[in-house]
Amino acid sequence: MLEIFEYEFMQRAFIAGIFIAILASISGTFIVLKRYSLMSETLAHSALVGVAVGLVAGYNPLWVAVIVAVLSAWLIEYLRTTFTLYSDAILSIILSGSLALAVIIVSLGGAFNNSLFSYLFGSILSVSNEDVLTIFLFGTPALALLLMFSKELYFIAYDEEVAKTSGIKVKLLNFLLVTVVAIIIALSIRVVGSLLIGALMVIPTSAALQYRVGFKNTILISLFFALFSVVFGMSLSFYFSLPSGATIVMSVIALFILSLIVNKK
Amino acid sequence: MSLNFKVPIFDVKNLSFRVRGVNILSNISLEIFNGEYIAIIGPNGGGKTTLIRMLLGLENPSSGTVRLFGKKLGEFKQWYKIGFVPQRASLVDANFPATVEDIVKMGRVAKRGIFAGFSKDDASKVEDAMKKMDILDLKEKMVGTLSGGQRQRVMIARALASSPEILILDEPNTGVDIVSQKRFYKLLSKLNKEENITIVFITHDIGVIADDIGRLFTINQKATICNNPKETLSCEDMSELYGIEAHLLSNHKHEHKEGESC
Repeated sequence: MLEIFEYEFMQRAFIAGIFIAILASISGTFIVLKRYSLMSETLAHSALVGVAVGLVAGYNPLWVAVIVAVLSAWLIEYLRTTFTLYSDAILSIILSGSLALAVIIVSLGGAFNNSLFSYLFGSILSVSNEDVLTIFLFGTPALALLLMFSKELYFIAYDEEVAKTSGIKVKLLNFLLVTVVAIIIALSIRVVGSLLIGALMVIPTSAALQYRVGFKNTILISLFFALFSVVFGMSLSFYFSLPSGATIVMSVIALFILSLIVNKK
Repeated sequence: MSLNFKVPIFDVKNLSFRVRGVNILSNISLEIFNGEYIAIIGPNGGGKTTLIRMLLGLENPSSGTVRLFGKKLGEFKQWYKIGFVPQRASLVDANFPATVEDIVKMGRVAKRGIFAGFSKDDASKVEDAMKKMDILDLKEKMVGTLSGGQRQRVMIARALASSPEILILDEPNTGVDIVSQKRFYKLLSKLNKEENITIVFITHDIGVIADDIGRLFTINQKATICNNPKETLSCEDMSELYGIEAHLLSNHKHEHKEGESC
């Protein structure tokens, strides 16, 4: 057996990482098709506010991150649908605001240390049993909802107005999608880190789109790329003592470049 | 065409739409009945698309009411009875990961239950819709690789897959060549006559379809309803509607002749 699997912390990291790859790539497909890619970055920064509150107040940072990311997702969707503001401007405002708020909370609480660093860039060493449990507890219903409404979400991504005139509850499902994405992002920051999770959501799908295949196959390719990047990236992280988020993202970028070259017309 | 049906599909009363104090549509009242074939014409900015959007609940009117199959818009639930093909339909994003079949299947999504997959009935309705639009042999193709005319047929097949009672099309010929347009009008006429599907569509191409349509709505802030378009459509009417000197060219029956000018 490979040395890497003999360590309990690596087993935990692989279990968490593989589940996160599944969650991130499937939800990422809808996010990319809806032109919501920047949403993942914004929610990751909002999750950081939750981490900061958790670290300073002594609560489980992952739980607080899930709550803050979901509230932030609802705020974004409310602003997008209620006011005449450009979506990307709203995302940019909340992204900067969240980061500023997180830094202030952490500075005031004196928690600016290695612990926060691991949430920024991901750390396989720090994935605890409780983290794995939290990831499954929130991640399983999130995945179930995504799969249950995948056809509706796909239709909405294709044409929101036509979906609405077909009787699909577009507003409700858009809220559902951003909620699920917020949960997945908050759960992912332990392994991938808040500054890099957006990449794991957006890049596998962007790479899969280069193959110009139908919806089902695009999701399958995206899933395969995410799984490969997480497993390969975490192995690199283990052998070279590098932050896991960075090695995972570099792996998926390599696959993206390869997909571009292979599919060049 | 018999118009003896009691409940119209659309019953529009005193509909107005204002944006920042500017009247886009004023006091529109009209009814659309089962089995009708209606064309809507009017100048750009005259409010045609806004009217359609209000009929479908995509815009809220400033005043007036819309009833669908006898029900208020907010209470209407059977949206599968309506097939809508928007203006941009044939200008689909070339990178969107969808085969022809993926798109046509969307027409069945709203009809199935949350936990249900696609049933045999769904599959046969999807295949039927593709057959009617003559795109069955394209079902594995990516939509982004199709021509404008083929995409247009895919979008209508999607709308047909839900077995609608009415098809609403907003300038469906945008980006489509002339040969495909003629084939398209034939298809619409066939759907109306053979399947009894009510057809409402916005067009600028009135000369081509004047012989087929039952009624014509001209929309330029206000609505004028022509119950006999062939007799009613004069160059004076068209000039007034579009605000320019108009010449009616009919290429429906005299395809190789110069059209008659006023």
